[in-house]
Amino acid sequence: MNTTTLNPVTQLYCTTHPAMGTEYSLYLYAPSREQAAAIAKPVFEEVDRVDALLSNYRSDSELSRINREAFDHEVTTDPETFRFLATCLAWSERSQGAFDISVGKLMKVWKFFGASGALPTPEEIAAARKHVGWEKIRLDPEQRTVRFLSAEIELDPGGIGKGYAVDRAVKTLRAKHVPAALLSAGSSTIYALGAPPGEAGWKVRVPSPHPEGGTISTVILRDTSLSTANLSEKNFVHEGQFYGAIMNPRTLQPVRGMLQVTVISQSATDSDALSNALFVSGPEDRASLLGEQECALVIREQLSEVEQQAAPPYEAIRWPSEVAQRHLAELPTTKEKEKL
Amino acid sequence: MNRRRLLQGLSFSMLAAKLSGTSSLYGQTAEPQPQPARTLSPNDRIQVGFIGPGSRGQELIRQLLRTPGVDIAAQCDVYEPRFAEVNEMVGKNVPAHKDYRDLLDRKDLDVIYIATPPVFHASYSIAAMKSGRPVYCEKTIGFTPEDCTNVVEAARKTGQIFQVGHQMRYASWIVESVNRVRKGDIGEPTHVYGYWHRSDNWRREVPNPSLEHLMNWRLYRESSGGLLEELGSHHIDIANWVFGEQPQTLLGTSSIAVYHDGRTVGDNVQAVLGYSKGRRMVFSSLTDNGLMADQVWVYGTEGSLQITLADATFYKRTSKMITEASHSDVVQKGVETGASYNAHSELPYRGPGYRLNMKRDEDPTLTACKSFMECVRSKKQPFANVNVGYGSAIACAVGRHAMYEGREAKIPQLTA
Repeated sequence: MNTTTLNPVTQLYCTTHPAMGTEYSLYLYAPSREQAAAIAKPVFEEVDRVDALLSNYRSDSELSRINREAFDHEVTTDPETFRFLATCLAWSERSQGAFDISVGKLMKVWKFFGASGALPTPEEIAAARKHVGWEKIRLDPEQRTVRFLSAEIELDPGGIGKGYAVDRAVKTLRAKHVPAALLSAGSSTIYALGAPPGEAGWKVRVPSPHPEGGTISTVILRDTSLSTANLSEKNFVHEGQFYGAIMNPRTLQPVRGMLQVTVISQSATDSDALSNALFVSGPEDRASLLGEQECALVIREQLSEVEQQAAPPYEAIRWPSEVAQRHLAELPTTKEKEKL
Repeated sequence: MNRRRLLQGLSFSMLAAKLSGTSSLYGQTAEPQPQPARTLSPNDRIQVGFIGPGSRGQELIRQLLRTPGVDIAAQCDVYEPRFAEVNEMVGKNVPAHKDYRDLLDRKDLDVIYIATPPVFHASYSIAAMKSGRPVYCEKTIGFTPEDCTNVVEAARKTGQIFQVGHQMRYASWIVESVNRVRKGDIGEPTHVYGYWHRSDNWRREVPNPSLEHLMNWRLYRESSGGLLEELGSHHIDIANWVFGEQPQTLLGTSSIAVYHDGRTVGDNVQAVLGYSKGRRMVFSSLTDNGLMADQVWVYGTEGSLQITLADATFYKRTSKMITEASHSDVVQKGVETGASYNAHSELPYRGPGYRLNMKRDEDPTLTACKSFMECVRSKKQPFANVNVGYGSAIACAVGRHAMYEGREAKIPQLTA
């Protein structure tokens, strides 16, 4: 636990906790290390509970049980899991399939599950088509059951699970009447609760996708969330072509031409899902995907100088802060992208 | 006043009031009248009355919500904030009662789940069985030796279905590995060593000091059998299952080594349980160092079995080499004399084991709940029946006093 002295009464404490293949960080003010630890404990217990519910890396999670059984028979699930799946399908419908929790098989075909990716054969991709598609998931609210219409559908919560865990954990913070805290799920989803003493909100820096690009925008967040989707987590290069781990469920290929999407939304579940949906969607669909209170900063890949001169390399949709375009001026090379 | 007399002298409401630190909470109601449970048709949804939706209770509810054909129809707790927590989980308002007798008086319940502190398990289970409902009760089935006997007697008299919350009996990899041991895969099993080590002070945050004993009931002797009961009972049950009998003796010790915070149960326990033919079960629990975590080792004359919460691994003894070469030179030249100690045989085994090709899949508590509902529908007694519950509970009920008093306990055996 690291501390930063604020005043003699309360200090800013940071507690970290490994979960969901990343490290969660919780920043909060407390009079003592013990009190900070006492607040952090149930917050991370809630993150772990959500992990145990939704992880596709744990064979005993509720999501894994659904993956195993939902083609063979209707699976009765608990209301929380049911609501989560209904939220996922609502995002699929709203984004016309740009967001799709059924990409599990595709992630395995592209070797992004538990690895950093490899090129599949055309036959493998063709075979995966049968096993991907949110419309092959049926929910029955009356019976609270889930059913798959294809044998090898696999749900992968990667594009929404951390956001959901953050929302649940923030609920725990609110129940404990914590006035100011920042919870970060490995920096890809962040929730800012209240504001540090004397501040308007919590500062969050959006980095340039360019390896040495620094910060391109700084936003002040209060009682809202921010999620970023980019290709830095898992990727590989094959014959000079860069492949990242965000899948386009329509083409069954990793998304190309995009570098980073950052979304601000009140709900961390929504900002997480939206950042991925916007990453996949075409420019014509992006603005309509955002709700009135939501905003986004989309950074495209520009393959040539002609393209660069034609339009700025980013698209700011209701984005509340300035964007430092100079950091986006240089085109990252494939080699650089490898280092992302 | 000793604990037993204290318990006998207290009614439920007095004891609940004692634990919650408040004055009398309940009006007196009549003993519930026996009523026949309705006959369930295959399409009927089983209506569950749930008593004690605390932390463990809520985990059970979560698994019940994943069990097909089941509704949470009523809840009961002395701590009212639980009701809203249950309603959120279930997604609707579940009728709530503060007195378990009011819940048992309802006519719309098919089965009763009990996940209260263990001091109430026996009286609530017995009342629920007498009311004509099958019972799923968390371990241990009773807090005192009399409790344990009374629950068995009530189950026998009423003929009711009774399942104890020993969900490890429903874990696929544990079922398969114990069956292999019982078939002789590691020879004769002679010792079971259970480790349940944690790095956790076992203390719950209390919103108000008056709720200390209600929320942290695990930490006080009047409401808790401590680590032996809360954790050890699961391992004792596995030993009972492996040996095919209940233990006869318990010799143990417990102390407070770390958490000097007013608790009266130990923060560490070491217990040795005796079975027939000199077989032994050893249980160790620490709460300040979680290195060994939760695992059970079964040692046999021909090999060992390690059971964890995720998998099971067999280790077979290296077979002795028998060479067929001529030994005539031994006769001619003689053999050399020297020191016999071979450090190699005393070093920890580092080689591979045979891992059972069966990993943790479905949560064992979900499997246990599904199995219970199948038993209710088919009117069959569960695998983790009342006798199983007695076998672990009686050892804890008798053993903890012996531990506190530093003597060996003789454990009463269940009569047929």
